[in-house]
Amino acid sequence: MTGQNRKDMGRNGWLMRTRDLNLSFGGVTALQQIDVNVGHSEILAIIGPNGAGKTCLLNCLSGFYRPQTGQIYFCDQEITHLKPHKRAGIGISRTFQGVQLFLGLTVIDNLLTGRHIYMKTNVIQNFLYRHWTHREEMCERHKVEEIIDFLEIRHIRHKLVESLSYGLRKRVDLGRALAMEPKVLLMDEPMAGMNLEEKEDMARFVIEIRKIKDIPIVIIEHDMQVVMDISDRIYALNWGHIIAEGKPGEIKKDQEVIKAYLGEKLSK
Amino acid sequence: MTNRVGPEKNLGNLSAILGDGIETLPQLLIYQARQIGDRVFYRKKLFGVWQHYTWNDVLEQVKTFAMGLVSLGVKRGETVALVGENEPELFWSEYAAQAIGAKVVCLYSDLTPPQMEYMFIHSDTITVVCEDQEQVDKILKLENKIPAIKTIIYWNDRGMWNYKNPKLIPFQQVQEIGREYIQQNSDSFEKAVSSGKGTDTALLSYSSGATGLPKGCIITYKNLFDMVFRVTNAISLKPFSQYLSYNSLSWCLEQIFGIAIGVSLPFVINFPEEPETVIENLCEMGIECIVLTPRQWEGLASMVESKMAYAGAIRRWFYKWALAAGQKNNLALLEAKKIPFGSRLRYLLSDKTVLYPLRSNLGLQNAYLAISSGMGMAPDVFRFFHTIGIRVRNSYGTTEIGPVAMHLDETYDLGSVGKWLNTHSSFGPPLEYKVSDKGELLVRGGSGFAGYYKEEKTEVNKDYKGWFRTGDMMKVTNQNELVYIDRLEDIRPLSIGESFAPQFIENRLRFSTFIRDAITILDGNKLSVAALININAATVGPWAEHRKIRYTTFTDLSQNSKVRELIKIEIEKINHFLPEKLKIKFFINLPKELDPDEDELTQTQKLRRCFLEQKYATFISAISKGETEFKAEVPIKYRDGRNSVLSTTVYINDLIQE
Repeated sequence: MTGQNRKDMGRNGWLMRTRDLNLSFGGVTALQQIDVNVGHSEILAIIGPNGAGKTCLLNCLSGFYRPQTGQIYFCDQEITHLKPHKRAGIGISRTFQGVQLFLGLTVIDNLLTGRHIYMKTNVIQNFLYRHWTHREEMCERHKVEEIIDFLEIRHIRHKLVESLSYGLRKRVDLGRALAMEPKVLLMDEPMAGMNLEEKEDMARFVIEIRKIKDIPIVIIEHDMQVVMDISDRIYALNWGHIIAEGKPGEIKKDQEVIKAYLGEKLSK
Repeated sequence: MTNRVGPEKNLGNLSAILGDGIETLPQLLIYQARQIGDRVFYRKKLFGVWQHYTWNDVLEQVKTFAMGLVSLGVKRGETVALVGENEPELFWSEYAAQAIGAKVVCLYSDLTPPQMEYMFIHSDTITVVCEDQEQVDKILKLENKIPAIKTIIYWNDRGMWNYKNPKLIPFQQVQEIGREYIQQNSDSFEKAVSSGKGTDTALLSYSSGATGLPKGCIITYKNLFDMVFRVTNAISLKPFSQYLSYNSLSWCLEQIFGIAIGVSLPFVINFPEEPETVIENLCEMGIECIVLTPRQWEGLASMVESKMAYAGAIRRWFYKWALAAGQKNNLALLEAKKIPFGSRLRYLLSDKTVLYPLRSNLGLQNAYLAISSGMGMAPDVFRFFHTIGIRVRNSYGTTEIGPVAMHLDETYDLGSVGKWLNTHSSFGPPLEYKVSDKGELLVRGGSGFAGYYKEEKTEVNKDYKGWFRTGDMMKVTNQNELVYIDRLEDIRPLSIGESFAPQFIENRLRFSTFIRDAITILDGNKLSVAALININAATVGPWAEHRKIRYTTFTDLSQNSKVRELIKIEIEKINHFLPEKLKIKFFINLPKELDPDEDELTQTQKLRRCFLEQKYATFISAISKGETEFKAEVPIKYRDGRNSVLSTTVYINDLIQE
């Protein structure tokens, strides 16, 4: 565990936690009494059938939705009312289910947008383009190139995102999240719509990010094979409730989970 | 060689360098580093920026790694295997192993574990230097079968965190061990290098295995320098030319250019970032010398052609106009014809506006030496590159003897493999050739052939009254240029007279942008020629989309009636130039792509003809029976070892004129 991460850990050993989270849209209850803990350097999967509230939970963590009641803590600091861009600033980074990139920009430029929070020069300085701007650009570009190297997207670095396949766009999306040097990475269905090879690559990247960056990764995924293979701990959701929590082996055997996925009749 | 030599002495003059007592490559590396230590030797793109390595940097890396190998117990005469893409570490490992007197064997990085196993065992490998996790996994899979391998060194540690096998050791750690060893034995590296002899085995170069199991050709330093001399004597190469190292070191020609000429001329060696970025890297590097296989040249030509096919009408018109001007000017130059003033003017204009930008887009605007080698290439491909101003020269050689013929000077026949090369008298008798009664090319002279590893008997068979039998059928033109026909064993007689050389037709078929590969065969009654076509999905796919032809898989696309019609037209174009009896009468589009992993091609993309004839025997018999379609079952092997059968209806198409 690196010194920085140790310092960031909450008093009770969790980097991020939610307490009694409730979210509803009009009469529809999306999340009910959700208590989730995210530990240090773990791959935490959130599973559940369609409409279970997985993405809602992730949106609450990243600040896109604000829960009606309950609290969210990050490094023991309450962030329930913090705006999404402020959360990005303190180290919460995410990828999206549908890719949300700048289609008309190149891969490098898209990744550089992830470095925006670290850039200190202002518009006028950039317009003048003196040595300080040049130095900053060199430094940020190097960081971005490290990510390009890591995600093996060297061959597309100058390509416009709109010309890329879906699998590669997902990888660029992940790259942008990494460019922010997050303390926790939230990934919403990173493998949806991918072929087997792309899924294997993405799973490898997730494992390597945990190993190299030493950060926790919260991942929502439908592919059970992938979830069972790479995650350390799993929360299973159904109808806005947590129905099970545990290691992959335990979740596989959990009756509630089997019922939620296969229906009551079949599970018997 | 201990004396310090003057600044840039003997640069580019191999015979003078050898006259200074240099016998091996590592000796030459030290010799050059003493003179030009601060000059750039390697360029490699790291994190998006081109990094330089000077001669001193390279020597330091080699020195520490070599002594690291000694500390790990590698002894003179033992074998070190190298597996990986072309990267500086691969080259350092080769110099380092050779510096301590070990011989090197290079393996293609995409070999499957069983293919690797044969080479490891046959070459008596005791240490492997490999690139990354992928290679390590393959080698560890074989661990029980190759107990002789004591150490596995890797230079890319990504993903290697959880590997606990005691045989594994990172490249950098070996260098650390080497540094400690040098501290205790300060001149150990120089001593090891200076005890090398010209007759030592530098490497085992495995032949492509097109006709059976690969054979390990022994290449000594004397052989290597002889081969270098033949090339540098024939073509004037400028020292410090920018060279692209793209082909695997397992290929003997890359050993000659990338390693041996690289050190002796020397070249500035540029490593592409990765195989997918070669074209982009080429544009950035300003390459001056490049050696590619016919497949790679064909790939470049087909890329340009297919991109232009979908360009706008105005751009297409300009392109065609420029090609016509280029053809008139450049092809006339080849034949030493006088060019009218108008044509020259038109060429000048077209070169400035279209051809130069086209060469720049390919990154070959500075290329003064472009070589095609490995097997035959259609004259049309050569003609295309000459037209756009890239003078691609053909060359011919064998792994055993090295390069022996090449397009020289300014005028040569594009259908030939060029004129005979000369060697220096210090390497042995003059390099000579003769064509036997059967048409086979026989070679003797130079430093000779040192033999196959562990196969003395075969060497005697190959040795034919002092001549080395190449097994290749050749013809000599009036201008003393050699024309390659085919492998002698592949020539088949037609029952109606005339002999049939498959490669002659296949090379021409491959010039079509829509045909990636072709196997020409005789039908069962040896009456007519038929072709199995591997369509080029990269060009046929967009062609079909453009015409709103729906398809799902490669199999579906290949058997589509409109695609079959397209291939038919392409074959008819080639048939037009073939003698009546050799015209292709039937063809089948293969329902799957040919793949080296399934032993259908060699790693250098040559066809494994005997294997293919067996695998596709049902196709051939269906043609003989005169069927129009049949249910084919083709076995498929996946990379992870799974087997499956592709079962589909395959159509036989005839080209018989009504």
